[in-house]
Amino acid sequence: MLRHVALAALIGISLVGCGPSEPKTAGGPAMLRRLTQEQYQNIVADVFGRGINVGGRFDPLVRQSGLLAVGAGNTAMTVSALDGYDGIARNVAKQVVDEQHRGWLVPCTPASVTAADDQCARAFFTKTGRLLYRRALTKEELDSQVAIAAASTKILGNFYDGLAGSLSAMLVAPEFLYIQDTVDASGRLSGYAKASRLSFFLWDSSPDDALLDAAEKGDLDKASGLKREVDRLLASPRVEQGVRAFFADMYGFDGFETLQKDSLIYPAFGLATADDAKEQTLRTIVDLLLTKNGDYRDLFTTRSTFVSGALGMIYQVSVSNPEGWEPYTFPEGDQHVGIQSQAAFQSLFSHPGRSSATIRGKAIRELFMCQRVPDPPANVDFTLVSDVHNTVHKTARERLDAHAADPSCSGCHRLVDPIGLALENFDGAGQWRTQENGASIDASGEVDGMKYSDPAGLGKALHASPAISSCVVNRMISYSVGRPIASGEKPWVDFLDKSFKSDDYKLRALMRRIALADAFYAISPDTAKGAQNAAAN
Amino acid sequence: MKMSKTLILPALVAMQCIAPAQAKTLGFVVPSWSTAIYETKYYEECPEGLALGNDELWWKGLSPKDRDRLTNGGEMEPVDPPRRPMSVLRGPNKEDVCWNPTIVKDPPLRMVRGKTGLGLNLDGTQDGAATAKTCKHEKFTTPDGKTKVDNQMYRLIGCVYGWRKGEYIEAHADRERRDSSVGIMLLEVADVDNEKNDDNVKVTFFSTHDVLPKDSTGAILPYASYRVADMQQYGAVAKGKIVDGKLITEPVEARMPLYGHQIMGEMYYKDLRLEMPLTASEPGKPINGLMAGYYDFDSWWQYIRRIESVLVTGQWSCPALYVAAKQMADGYPDPKTGDCTAISTAMNIEALPAFVVRGDVKTASAGGK
Repeated sequence: MLRHVALAALIGISLVGCGPSEPKTAGGPAMLRRLTQEQYQNIVADVFGRGINVGGRFDPLVRQSGLLAVGAGNTAMTVSALDGYDGIARNVAKQVVDEQHRGWLVPCTPASVTAADDQCARAFFTKTGRLLYRRALTKEELDSQVAIAAASTKILGNFYDGLAGSLSAMLVAPEFLYIQDTVDASGRLSGYAKASRLSFFLWDSSPDDALLDAAEKGDLDKASGLKREVDRLLASPRVEQGVRAFFADMYGFDGFETLQKDSLIYPAFGLATADDAKEQTLRTIVDLLLTKNGDYRDLFTTRSTFVSGALGMIYQVSVSNPEGWEPYTFPEGDQHVGIQSQAAFQSLFSHPGRSSATIRGKAIRELFMCQRVPDPPANVDFTLVSDVHNTVHKTARERLDAHAADPSCSGCHRLVDPIGLALENFDGAGQWRTQENGASIDASGEVDGMKYSDPAGLGKALHASPAISSCVVNRMISYSVGRPIASGEKPWVDFLDKSFKSDDYKLRALMRRIALADAFYAISPDTAKGAQNAAAN
Repeated sequence: MKMSKTLILPALVAMQCIAPAQAKTLGFVVPSWSTAIYETKYYEECPEGLALGNDELWWKGLSPKDRDRLTNGGEMEPVDPPRRPMSVLRGPNKEDVCWNPTIVKDPPLRMVRGKTGLGLNLDGTQDGAATAKTCKHEKFTTPDGKTKVDNQMYRLIGCVYGWRKGEYIEAHADRERRDSSVGIMLLEVADVDNEKNDDNVKVTFFSTHDVLPKDSTGAILPYASYRVADMQQYGAVAKGKIVDGKLITEPVEARMPLYGHQIMGEMYYKDLRLEMPLTASEPGKPINGLMAGYYDFDSWWQYIRRIESVLVTGQWSCPALYVAAKQMADGYPDPKTGDCTAISTAMNIEALPAFVVRGDVKTASAGGK
């Protein structure tokens, strides 16, 4: 009996190991990606602590292939943007060396505060420079930083001011502001670049000391070393930061920065509500996918979420502590099902003063299902659709039906309206309603052959749609490498899509598979040469 | 033992009988209230005119020489310091007349002489004759002419300028409460089986320290959650009923917070009753109700004497008000002296649907939907 059990266990283990292996890919181009504002803030917090305030605003990134992370690889540095970086850098550097922080951020005390101390400056830049440039500084770079600090000290008459001057120069250097896919002599991604790719993917921040150590020792080129580091990064609480960044990007949450609601139409939706709405959805994602290690598709059917005082007024639910956050589960029968029913999605994909079935339907197609919906023609007449007080066409469904009767409109509206109309029970601020203009709202519809009669039904349809899971795989790959998926990488995408299913749609498993894949680090030979040259220069 | 069919059936029937529908608990926040004042366009209820103000009485008591000396040759306005605080020190030895209201004798307070008033019939009589719990007083008749009501507080302050509708004393205090979120009342209506008609509900009067959330126009938002303040003096429970959607409570002794003019006080009521519809004209809109009872004289005067800084704006005299209030008191006679110790009062309240959170219990659903 015992033998049979052992045999079965062995077969089981070997079967797991006999799954389809990762296909070989040629990789994609080496990239030069500008840090996002969040990455900049995360790095400053990781290197200097949360007490350092990073003010200012970065130039916005352009969304490409559905992601700002991709747009970050195709952005120009304007003079005004550089000016902004310089201001931020000076402000950060000033705080790092101020009396409150220097004691623990500067690893030594200068012989004299009023004179240069090359030894102390060298100690500071050796440690800090490595973390900022995400690699050890070359001798020339280190000498240069020390020389700038000494020259500045001479002018300013204070060692710490000199040190700050040199540090601020480092914070505007391309080596810091850009994530560079440097390659080694054999055309493969260098160890340091691998470390950066890993940490920005999993933590949305720069590599820590241990990961840089691993890169230096060549551990990331070995399967065991890479596995050890990937598992360490995934086990870190910082992975929440990475997951938040990914979904904020994938779901278009940068839109919150410019979100406006008409306060007379939606008095309960203030600035705090917008912030809380975004936070609610991110908390829901982190809780389901990281804390509970749940099925990604359940994001569209979950009733479990978190509420704040501001959101309690939107959802008309009781909150124990109006000043904080608390878990909340919408009861069975309630139509608040899935993240698409939450205030973040409903408010973000609406007009300032009214809901929009079309914008919501388009958002679900594009953001959740990775399907492209064409923009409307320039000469389209929206008068009827936007007339929310129309006495004949009282509901959005009736107005859209009349509008979409125009053949030039019907093609796209057929694609998005049935999805968006299922969410018409939520007004432009995400508040529940059963009527519009005194007429009952019909939330029935169909998405890709799956019919439903209410918002909860839409959630089930999305859960069942293969496009939902393949979309997140697609986006995560693209996000992780910071570029669109290359044509030669399709077999890898297909492999991960299948693996995601066999992993029960667990996000952690998907992240781990990507981070351990050879394809994740592969650089196409044609661009490797260019990256080699850039690294050499 | 194997249960027989005959045993199972009664058990099932019994289970059905003891499983009533889930009773609701409704919550309301009360950010606004004011004394129920009945006014006519031409002040017909105040035939003697409006009450004399403290500054006026102080001015009359001064010699022409002192008037000149103390008011900078007549240039100093009544609200200007030091005239404002100085005018309260009208005692023989410069005592504060609000803290020593019997130290001088002012002309009698001009009070309401009209017959129409707002409120509830607190003593149950039609003529205001003395009862075991009340002193003899005049009743008002409601504007529709149907009900005799008690509201001696209105009789007392109805001709004081600052207490007239929309004037400074109550309007400013109301704004202060809404701006500061201090002294806010909560109402919890529990055991509601039927929001239209229910002969047995439980109403609790709480207070909260939580902030009143407002929209961009400053209006207080409905459906907010408020934690019950951990203050032992609040939390009176009244029995009540719902008749055609209107909540009507039985008399209860209750204390409620009172804040205004930067003074924190307390409203201590005996036989407090509440009459309020449970639904608004539109979901989320304010609900107007009436709260009435016998306002304990001491708790009322404790507050009044401390808001002497608004005497000038309010236009009353503390000694005259004090004496008149003692005379108008119509509830709860002192067993020794026979003098009544509380004044019948009615307050208009404005309630908004809210969630009343007691500890970790979150069973409340907001009322007014």
